[in-house]
Amino acid sequence: MKKGLMVLFGCMVFFLGFAAFAWAEEGVTDTEIHIGQWGPQTGPAAAWGSVARGTGDYFKWINATGGIHGRKIVYHMFDDGYNPAKTKAGVKELQEGTGIFAWASGVGTSPGLAVKDYLMERKVPWVGPAAGSLHWVSPPEKYLFGVYPLYYNEARALVRYAVETMGKKRVAVAYLNDEYGKNGLRGAVKELENHGMELVAQVPVEKSDSDMKPHVMKLRKSDADMVLLWTTVSHAVRIVGTAKAMNFAPQFMSTSTCSDFPLMTHISKGLWEGVICATFGELPDSDHPGMRHYKKEVFDQFASKDERWGMFYAAGIIFIEPMIAALKNAGPELTREKFVAEMEKITGFKGIGPEVNFKPFDPDDMYSRQGTRQTFLVQCLADGKAKKLTDWITLE
Amino acid sequence: MVDFIQMVVSGVAVGSSYALMGLAMVIIYKTSEVPNFAQGEMALVTSFFTMMLLTTFGYPVWLAFALAFVFAAALGAFLEFAILRRAKNPNILGTIVITIGLEMVLLGLVSWKFGAEHKTMPFPIGPYDSFIIGDIFISKLETLTLFSALGLMILLFFFFRYTRLGLAMKATQQNSVAAKIVGIRTNRIMMMTWGISSVVGATAGLLISPVIMHPFMMWDPLLKGFAAAVMGGMTSLPGAVAAAYLLGIIENLFGGYVSIEFKSVVAFAIIVLVLCFKPSGLFARHYVKKV
Repeated sequence: MKKGLMVLFGCMVFFLGFAAFAWAEEGVTDTEIHIGQWGPQTGPAAAWGSVARGTGDYFKWINATGGIHGRKIVYHMFDDGYNPAKTKAGVKELQEGTGIFAWASGVGTSPGLAVKDYLMERKVPWVGPAAGSLHWVSPPEKYLFGVYPLYYNEARALVRYAVETMGKKRVAVAYLNDEYGKNGLRGAVKELENHGMELVAQVPVEKSDSDMKPHVMKLRKSDADMVLLWTTVSHAVRIVGTAKAMNFAPQFMSTSTCSDFPLMTHISKGLWEGVICATFGELPDSDHPGMRHYKKEVFDQFASKDERWGMFYAAGIIFIEPMIAALKNAGPELTREKFVAEMEKITGFKGIGPEVNFKPFDPDDMYSRQGTRQTFLVQCLADGKAKKLTDWITLE
Repeated sequence: MVDFIQMVVSGVAVGSSYALMGLAMVIIYKTSEVPNFAQGEMALVTSFFTMMLLTTFGYPVWLAFALAFVFAAALGAFLEFAILRRAKNPNILGTIVITIGLEMVLLGLVSWKFGAEHKTMPFPIGPYDSFIIGDIFISKLETLTLFSALGLMILLFFFFRYTRLGLAMKATQQNSVAAKIVGIRTNRIMMMTWGISSVVGATAGLLISPVIMHPFMMWDPLLKGFAAAVMGGMTSLPGAVAAAYLLGIIENLFGGYVSIEFKSVVAFAIIVLVLCFKPSGLFARHYVKKV
């Protein structure tokens, strides 16, 4: 009798324990939601390190205003130095050690590609990679939601503007010789095809290149009247500067990753003036109510004293706004499946970035997971301020 | 033809910063037979220190640069005194590992103190100011770098050949025990060598800084400078400089006529070829010891 009771008690403990385990979601407790992000605080892409810091301050503000259904966000950010090997090691360590509910943003195509399969195999949601790569959504993945405008579409919007509005006839591209640069190159080629045109030059730039004279000589030789720059910030500045020195003065255009005009103006010593960029969010110093709100509530209260209110810092909020909306809509019984279901219900979402629309997962429709098709174009003015050239452009 | 001349001129221009880094490495190698992989980061620390003097404290350029050279010399001497000398009879491999460790510490220090965001240093000559002769473009800043490299090379050449200190440095490299016996304070010589080398490297850093500054800015010049030093034979000052210019020109011609994609790799392909066919370098004398 006594033995039977012991067995019964053991079974109860086992099943109750199992039931509790089955209910709990990885990275969620009664009081916390664990969210991770990588971001280059050092290394060649450190100029984009403020994205992860912007997200961190945004989470601090959410926690200070009550959290999400009573839970605080615990933010796990690490510096991967834009090194995919470090990204993978850091993500695995946090995922398997701490247990992360979902991943937010994360700078870079190559670092993101290093962990994409790992996260998707484990069915861990990842929202708003801070890179406009086609790899996130081609083919689409159930747990990966893109918020950044595709580089491919940015390049198309810039080339379209150059050809149709500015009447440019000879377009060349200088691109970083990796997937980031090649996404921009493909977009430019496609848009020119649509206009019955071809590139007059395509010049690859290697990450380690510091002397841009050979590249600019090739561009000058092509007699391009518009040069699209899909490189790192420092390469872009060096190309524009070297071109000026060589008396080569085409219209330069560039990707949203080079659209932080105060920074670009400073490091180019004013030579960035006149460059046209695509962008992924409202301008930080604009009168947009959302931007003013975040500047006052998030940046002024939570940013460190060395931080600068700029496009990349704001990007850390832009890419995560839909995630926060879905977390709130998922209610207090938070699970990954509920969260994904709420992400899929996001339509017509307008924060400080482009309009975001998701759909129920369809493996044949990349726009079920690529939330935006919009970008707009801005031109850099003498003092690093931006002039809006277009409204939001929607590309199919 | 214009393109060819432009590529050669650009090659010479870019070779100047390689030459300065190559010279700095050769100076230490001549005395201790150690390739100093912290050379780039020593220049980096001095460059950021100078920028701080210029922007935070508002010092005039001449004063900031003068203090920078003093700082560079002190930094080199300090690292030798405080780190290298403390190692207990390390072999060459051990010393290389120490310099790599130093490189990481200095890089981390700059990232921590000055942040990783890109910056530029104020300088009287703009980074893209240039002379245009016919259709050929020559950067003013790179012209200054060229004259600095040649000037320092000549100065160092005469220093090593005709001054007592220079001769003592050569003696320390050739046989440190014998040098000690004849009364040369080899420890002091090593410290001075590191100081002089640091000043030469800092000159490269200071002339790169007006273009763009970030914690990784010295990697490319260091690697190319090392390539030039190896090509030149590691102990020859004019050899390192000539190899640096050769490297710059080959890189540019390769980028212009063969493949721009593999332009950066060509330097290392040349090292492999040189080490295969002339291991002592293109310009150094090959010593054979009888045993």
